[in-house]
Amino acid sequence: MSLSAKAKLSFMKDLGFPAMLSLQKAMKGKRGPRKANPDFGPPLKCAARLKEIMMRHYYLARFAPGAKPVAWVTSGAPVELLRALDFYTIYPENHGALCGAQKMGPELCQVAEDEGYSADLCSYARVDLGHMLSGKTPAGRLPKPDLLFCSNNICQTVVYWYKVMAHRYGVPLVMFDTPFNYGEIKDDDIDYMKGQIKDMIPVLEKAAGRSFDMERFMAVAELSKSTSELWGLCLETMKAKPAPMTIFDAFVHLAPVVSLRGLPVAREYYEILYAELLERVRAGIGAITNERKRLMWDNIAIWYKVRDFSELFAARGMNFVAATYTNAWAETIQHLDMSRPFESLAKTYSLVILNNNLEHRLNLMAKMVEDYAVDGLVVHSARSCKPYSLGQYDLKRILSERLGIPAVVIEADITDYRYFSEEQALTRLEAFFEALEAA
Amino acid sequence: MSIPPIPSRAEHLAAWRESGGKLCAAFPAQYPKELLWAHGILPVEVWDPPLAATRAPGHLQPYICSVVRQGLELLLAGAGDEMDIILFPHTCDSMQNLASLVGDYLKPKATSLFFYNPKAPFGQPAREFYLDRLFALDRELAGLFGPRPEGALEQALAWSRTLSGLYAKAYDLRAAGGLAVGAAEFYAVLRAGEYLHPTAFIPLLDAWLAQAVGQPSAGERIVLSGVLPGPEDLLESLDALGLVVAHDDLLSMSRRLLYPPPGEGEPLAALTESFLEMPPCSTRGSSLAERLAWLKSLAKLSKARGVVFSVVKFCEPELFDLPELRRGLKEARLPSLLIEVDVNQAAGGQASTRLEAFREMMA
Repeated sequence: MSLSAKAKLSFMKDLGFPAMLSLQKAMKGKRGPRKANPDFGPPLKCAARLKEIMMRHYYLARFAPGAKPVAWVTSGAPVELLRALDFYTIYPENHGALCGAQKMGPELCQVAEDEGYSADLCSYARVDLGHMLSGKTPAGRLPKPDLLFCSNNICQTVVYWYKVMAHRYGVPLVMFDTPFNYGEIKDDDIDYMKGQIKDMIPVLEKAAGRSFDMERFMAVAELSKSTSELWGLCLETMKAKPAPMTIFDAFVHLAPVVSLRGLPVAREYYEILYAELLERVRAGIGAITNERKRLMWDNIAIWYKVRDFSELFAARGMNFVAATYTNAWAETIQHLDMSRPFESLAKTYSLVILNNNLEHRLNLMAKMVEDYAVDGLVVHSARSCKPYSLGQYDLKRILSERLGIPAVVIEADITDYRYFSEEQALTRLEAFFEALEAA
Repeated sequence: MSIPPIPSRAEHLAAWRESGGKLCAAFPAQYPKELLWAHGILPVEVWDPPLAATRAPGHLQPYICSVVRQGLELLLAGAGDEMDIILFPHTCDSMQNLASLVGDYLKPKATSLFFYNPKAPFGQPAREFYLDRLFALDRELAGLFGPRPEGALEQALAWSRTLSGLYAKAYDLRAAGGLAVGAAEFYAVLRAGEYLHPTAFIPLLDAWLAQAVGQPSAGERIVLSGVLPGPEDLLESLDALGLVVAHDDLLSMSRRLLYPPPGEGEPLAALTESFLEMPPCSTRGSSLAERLAWLKSLAKLSKARGVVFSVVKFCEPELFDLPELRRGLKEARLPSLLIEVDVNQAAGGQASTRLEAFREMMA
């Protein structure tokens, strides 16, 4: 790492970014506030802080090379190991979501397709490969990785995708293989994962150019744990009636727990968010003004439709109060135990929803329906995400029959809107709305 | 060249059942078949059952590959009820969820068993884990059917060694231009190993090899890569067009068949070493550099001048690797052609036309 690069990063962190932010705020002030939608309650005040944090993260990323080792990481990887070695982390999935929300998905996917990547592949991957090939991104510029770190606890796709990047960038790929839990997790599985963690540390040390410090790792893991716990508490506030935020808010507010987990800024953010949500619950302020029906969402967000869907449902007095997706960064954190750091880290990351059998997901969803007093279920069949989507038809049918709640499947994609038929989705949703009103 | 009579799948399964043997529907791709043989179980592989998919679409989205779709169709048609066990190795996301869908929701009469293959890189933790998985599967089978007879595993490994030798001979002869058979016949015979017990398959393969030795037809030599050899009309087109499959890198074939034979030591440890040394494969997490080097070595060994990728639609592991493999092959002056196929659907005239153009380009 070079001293000049470190000095530059430090300068940008302390002076450059704050100056840029002030300028942006001044410009925004001239434009005036956005017109309020009467279907929604007052917006979350801390949304501005969230925007600032994520902007800062992406802005400073471009100054990280040379100052810090840069790692590109999957959303479900045990990033605490990297934080302890001071890596600057970039999350291609989060970047994919950003591109999706900015409606850049098809453009970047097309770049990857022109290079020979099938349009049938995950669109997060195609967006990312499209960025790799073209340099285009709404985030300005992403730093090239010194290391790639992936875990197949969310899908095997990330393994194939990261292999391509490792080949193209010519950097090491560290893979954390988490055996799929067809039933209960086994001791052999945990031993295997612990063994991998021990084996990967020298590789990470080499890429980072520093030694792994167990004490630092424990401190990071503690921070990560409290951050995820706080995120879980934020989600739990949505048990209140009316719920103080919607899942569409949560899709956006989960960015720090995904991308900045293990850093103080993430925990600080959720302290602010949690306090605000509690205050809204106390004051009876709902995310939507007339919460008549409470819904649950299954699968990743349809990023280019978040706002449209948010308005569509709010106009009908329907609020999404739970989602398997947002829950994923909170649901297993209780397993993280500092007295058995590597073993518990393995368990925490291996037990996430997508690394578990469908029966597990069914039971989890049934519990969420009960805990959050859910009236209906919307299932996003995401053609990009096979581990999330294969099995959903049965899951929807069984849940609907068992719990007596209406459910609907929408066929779409997470970022590539060429695979979304508005008409077909609305037709299905209209039938769902009718069933929900009749229930 | 005439193919020796190959017992049909139905005949062989019925005979096996009558003799008191157990049956296992084994889903793709890699699993320790020796352990099944040792427990008196005949693995019957489910790659591309010839059924019209009428029930499976009620459970699967249209973007799920046809190998998974056809496998589920077979189970929904009741085939699972004729089996004692259904074995799902961990191959990809879709196979993983199919296993859970069947085990958790559909619950056929047969017991569903799951087998997690560790993913590359294969360090010591992977070695120990795979061995643990073998012991666990051995215990599961013993729990279901009683302990395996003494010496049965050693016998199974001996069959495996014999088969490994015969596969190697078949591939080596073909690569050296010493097999007077086309792709359709080669794969028709070798694919019988997907359901024949070694006691039936070894003599068949041996006899076939003895009469198959000879000069192949003249033509442009290629390596065939992808998931399965086929569909049938694709193989026939290759033969008819004078495109000689000199080697392959198929998931269902050489990536599983050209394994180093298990050694003479402790049987499960020997099987572990065999598994870890199998050829590079997208489903095992092999790096692109390894796969590319492997493909180039196959082409060099067999004097192939091009590579045809016959990839099943929606097969993520294969589709992700393709662009970099093709780019690397191009740099090595090995042209390649991609044909996307669905199992049990003819590749069609368009594929044949493209193969013809590819041959002309290579000539």
